[in-house]
Amino acid sequence: MKTPGDALECGHSFAELSAYLDTGEIADPAHLDSCPECQAGLASLRRLSELGNELLTADVAEAGSGGDDWMQTILDNLRLELRPGRSIPLRAEDPQDTLWETEGSVSALIRSVADSFPGTAAGKCRLLGDITEPGAGITVDVEIAVVYGHAMEERAAALRNELAKMLQVQTELDIQAINITVTDVLELPAPAMTPNTEDQP
Amino acid sequence: MPDSHPWKGRNVTGSPAVSPTAQQPLDLVPDALLAGRAADGDTAAFEALARRHGPLMRATARRLTGTLADADDVVQESLMQAWKQLDQLRDPAAVKSWLLRIVGTRSIDHLRKRRNHLALDDLENHVDAPSGQRTPDPESTAVNASRVDALKSALTLLPEEQRRCWVLKEFNDLSYEEIALTLNISPASVRGRLARARIALARTMEEWR
Repeated sequence: MKTPGDALECGHSFAELSAYLDTGEIADPAHLDSCPECQAGLASLRRLSELGNELLTADVAEAGSGGDDWMQTILDNLRLELRPGRSIPLRAEDPQDTLWETEGSVSALIRSVADSFPGTAAGKCRLLGDITEPGAGITVDVEIAVVYGHAMEERAAALRNELAKMLQVQTELDIQAINITVTDVLELPAPAMTPNTEDQP
Repeated sequence: MPDSHPWKGRNVTGSPAVSPTAQQPLDLVPDALLAGRAADGDTAAFEALARRHGPLMRATARRLTGTLADADDVVQESLMQAWKQLDQLRDPAAVKSWLLRIVGTRSIDHLRKRRNHLALDDLENHVDAPSGQRTPDPESTAVNASRVDALKSALTLLPEEQRRCWVLKEFNDLSYEEIALTLNISPASVRGRLARARIALARTMEEWR
């Protein structure tokens, strides 16, 4: 088969066909069905695209898994600096002492509580209010993802309960509300199912 | 029967091993959630994102720069930039194409920097281009594998701007607008370069056939 150059004899161009393949848009869609030249050009583009996919698959396989050493080396080299966020003052026994904990450490605690529930993972988490001011009313917003099959309202209630307890023990914040939003329902791949999910409705 | 829920009333710090998310804690979690956590400063979530998309980032950077060693430098620089700029990511669900756009930009910067160290710019125009391989021997390997090899060779012969457009489109499925932003050219240029890349590649592949 002859591969068309940029201009086709029917008046259309290879560039139009190339854009049509990516966007589905072309000035004269009815023409495509009846024009053998355009059909041949599209077929040629599609073969190339399939071959491109094969190359991509081969390249990604060759790149290796994200769990391999090359990625670990990169991650080790990064030495990600922490994001402490705001400083939360703590009461000191001795007025000479200045004590505080970081917003980042409280967020990390909130995530670890949510993550410890089966089939649950924390997402974004926000401490709303002036946490740098002792006694200021604070609202906690937590996003979570829950594996399909878990009763979400009960899960949210239990999590709210545990978070309230934890925050009371680990912080001096005046927590006025804990809002939990389920942002995702996760589908577990079958082999990863655990007995925990079996007694759920 | 609420008491049948094993997690109910359990000490939250205890026995996380029964959690289905415990073994590979963040592997099942969607990108958007991980990106949100990472923006909050959760390094584990960021590393999970890096592991998830690292292979595609590496494969892309390799085709853009020419070698795996350069690709690893680019992936590392891209992840560092991503970590610093995560709070600027408007749509956390789009973190994958955001990472790939960073890889595109860093790959080009990487080549530019390296070129500045080398006097003979023109020789570097086709990084790692195998010499004299325009028509690989069809008898040498299985048909499909050698067609992929032929595509690899044909790619190295493309002008660099065309190759970039092609890789960002075919490997990363970026839109014309995203490619335009990454390469700092207009969407119309992306459309034109992509078409020219495809004409050249299709012609080589059809000849080879």
